[in-house]
Amino acid sequence: MTIFKEIKQKPLEYFTLLLIFIIGGILFFVFSFDSHSQRRIIYLISGAYLSWSLYHHYRRGDLDVSIIIEYLIMVLLGIIVISSTLL
Amino acid sequence: MKNFLSVWFIPQPKNNYRALLLHPSFLGLFIALYLLNQSLIKSFTIARPGVLGYSSEITDQKVFIQTNSERQKLGLSGLSYNSTLSASATKKAEDMFKNDYWAHSSPTGRTPWDFFKEVGYRYSVAGENLAKDFYDTESMMQAWMKSTTHRKNILDTRYQEIGIGVVNGVLNGVKTTLVVQHFGTPVNAVISHEKPPSDTAVVSQNVQVLSEISAPQISPVAISKTVGIIMFIFIIGVLLIDGYITLKNRTNRMTGSSAGHVGFLLIILLLLLFTRQGSIF
Repeated sequence: MTIFKEIKQKPLEYFTLLLIFIIGGILFFVFSFDSHSQRRIIYLISGAYLSWSLYHHYRRGDLDVSIIIEYLIMVLLGIIVISSTLL
Repeated sequence: MKNFLSVWFIPQPKNNYRALLLHPSFLGLFIALYLLNQSLIKSFTIARPGVLGYSSEITDQKVFIQTNSERQKLGLSGLSYNSTLSASATKKAEDMFKNDYWAHSSPTGRTPWDFFKEVGYRYSVAGENLAKDFYDTESMMQAWMKSTTHRKNILDTRYQEIGIGVVNGVLNGVKTTLVVQHFGTPVNAVISHEKPPSDTAVVSQNVQVLSEISAPQISPVAISKTVGIIMFIFIIGVLLIDGYITLKNRTNRMTGSSAGHVGFLLIILLLLLFTRQGSIF
């Protein structure tokens, strides 16, 4: 599957994902300088992305352990990098 | 060499139609490398204190003036400076450094009100604002004024006095400046009209600290941020190359959603790029 093909095939799913990112991004800036809340927002964005991926691959019929691990690592990478800048 | 590199970036049968750098094991390696970078920063901070950290030009006098300036903008009366309240604010900041925490209540259960009592300030109403990692007083005040709860404390007409603690130290392994504002109205309603601290007075109290502040410092967060940004741009680039080649070759494969990954990494990258230094509580 390619990026554009994927989006064209499941526009609603990707719109939901975009909404998660936009809302998360806005909340992050609303809570500027509040590292406690910002950390919680990152956990929420990551959790929502993980849930979205499970639903997305379940619907696609290719939900597999290797795919779950890939998402977990991606989410972990995001959390670790952002958290280290929010002392 | 070309073949060797292509396996890392271009999906092909040799890498199971997914750029090798995007395989979970290699993504895990990015995490390991980033954590190693963090450990090195932390170790360096401990081994060479004062080299990595935040340089701050915040003084209690500037905080006092700007707090009253915010009140005066709204036609409110200014707060009187109280050295007892400043002592409680300083004690609170020192306690946060000593017990390595960043919150209104300490891990041992001490609340802000315990510090008021400790210095003998009896209040009818009191409040606390906290800030750390800010370079200048202006941006710190802006951050407080943008937050509903902190703004409420600064503009609260029930408060008549203020005390400020600006203390430098090491929190979570990083050298930083903690600013504590303690607001209050004494229970006996006798307001002290002490002179606010001058910059000279601060220098005489914190000669050692100020000399450290004047030394050029590199923010450890800036290093972490830069490494994170470079890493994310690199991974997004590889994801796009991988996606483009897959599109060109019309390959079907069982992997995570490239669009999802690019979106997630992009949002994290944007947050990294636009977050501003400093934190309030």
